[in-house]
Amino acid sequence: MAAWPLESAHAQIAPQPACQTASAPRTAVFFVNGVTTTLDEARLNAGKLELEFLNQLPAMSRAVQANCHVFFLNYNPTAGEVNDFLEAAQQQLGITPTTFWLELEGLGLFTPQLIRDALQGPMTDLNRIDAATIQRHSAAYREQMASPSCRRVLVVPHSQGNLYTNAAYDLLFNQPPIQSPSAIRIVGVATPAQTVPGNGLYRTSTTDALINAIRVIRPAILPSDTNWGISPLLLSASYSGGHSFIGYLSAEPSRTDVLTDIESSLNALSAINPC
Amino acid sequence: MMGIVWLAVGLTSCGGGSSDTPPPATQETVAGIDANGDGVRDDVEVYIDTTYPVPAQRDTNRALRQVASAAQVTMIDASDSARSVSHAAERFRALECLMARRPADFHLVFVELRARVLNTTARSAAYLQADNHVTAGNVPLLPADQWVSACL
Repeated sequence: MAAWPLESAHAQIAPQPACQTASAPRTAVFFVNGVTTTLDEARLNAGKLELEFLNQLPAMSRAVQANCHVFFLNYNPTAGEVNDFLEAAQQQLGITPTTFWLELEGLGLFTPQLIRDALQGPMTDLNRIDAATIQRHSAAYREQMASPSCRRVLVVPHSQGNLYTNAAYDLLFNQPPIQSPSAIRIVGVATPAQTVPGNGLYRTSTTDALINAIRVIRPAILPSDTNWGISPLLLSASYSGGHSFIGYLSAEPSRTDVLTDIESSLNALSAINPC
Repeated sequence: MMGIVWLAVGLTSCGGGSSDTPPPATQETVAGIDANGDGVRDDVEVYIDTTYPVPAQRDTNRALRQVASAAQVTMIDASDSARSVSHAAERFRALECLMARRPADFHLVFVELRARVLNTTARSAAYLQADNHVTAGNVPLLPADQWVSACL
């Protein structure tokens, strides 16, 4: 985890060296949120990704450091699902809104049946994925890759965001103008999907309660390939479900695994000219 | 934790303190009470000042007030699509300020505050209704090296 002070007015984050050079190549890095993620949470998740990336950047390859990485959020609206979850939690468990918001990311208070009823549909049913959102995501990638931007694109989706990313990726190469497949890479986190397109990478924790619950009914989803070690996060109300994106980027070895996959993908992208 | 909320509601809702029993949070309006008109609901203000006292944690205190203020107008204007998009930008700037001030634990700090801000079903519903008006394509992000500039 990054060695940041708890509070310091002087903890100014340094700009990426390559971003000081107008001629340096640009790479767009998109975060795509999952199903229980409000807009505020999505912004914080994208911020965590940027912070951890910047913390690791000095140790990454010269090819990666030569790029200026510009971070974006491709929001996957989930207010309807969160509201359904809130109503179900209040009706079935009698918990207060305050408790709900404290426990939302951790999933600790919620019964397996509640999780299954409220979340497994949106997490597994491709028919419940919003077509307009997929179009918007795909258009955002296309805009970055096409002239005049000519940027490489890295997508880091979390949870249900993996399903949106897979669908947007397919759309990118099924509608003209067709983009170069080598100019976009995916590093999935906590994925309920069965594949990562474009030979992309992914990390799912063995202690991810939500993905493990989905695996019971969908055994073909990608197997777990990382974990949170003995992180105290697994004992905290906000992260105990092992599914939080912030948790994935705080606990070890999942944090290092995800960042290693990101570096590997950025290395591959660095050899590509999108235009 | 709920005790703080109940206490705060009781202190700020009863004017002269005419009752020993605070009204249930579920009976409060979405806006609640902001007696000093600073844009932060009074019970939330009590939580922030108690948990992050000034001057020891002045930067965090100010960042959380910015987050709470942005959430407050977001809930109040939740039925207005254009205002929801505008307020989303204010929320993003406030969150970027918080990340600049608390890079190690901004998420936990945020989660604890949000639980106090959205302490009724009506407030939670309004917050989610506002989210429904927004797609992030409308709200650009500041790069991390500029987050501190988002602090008011």
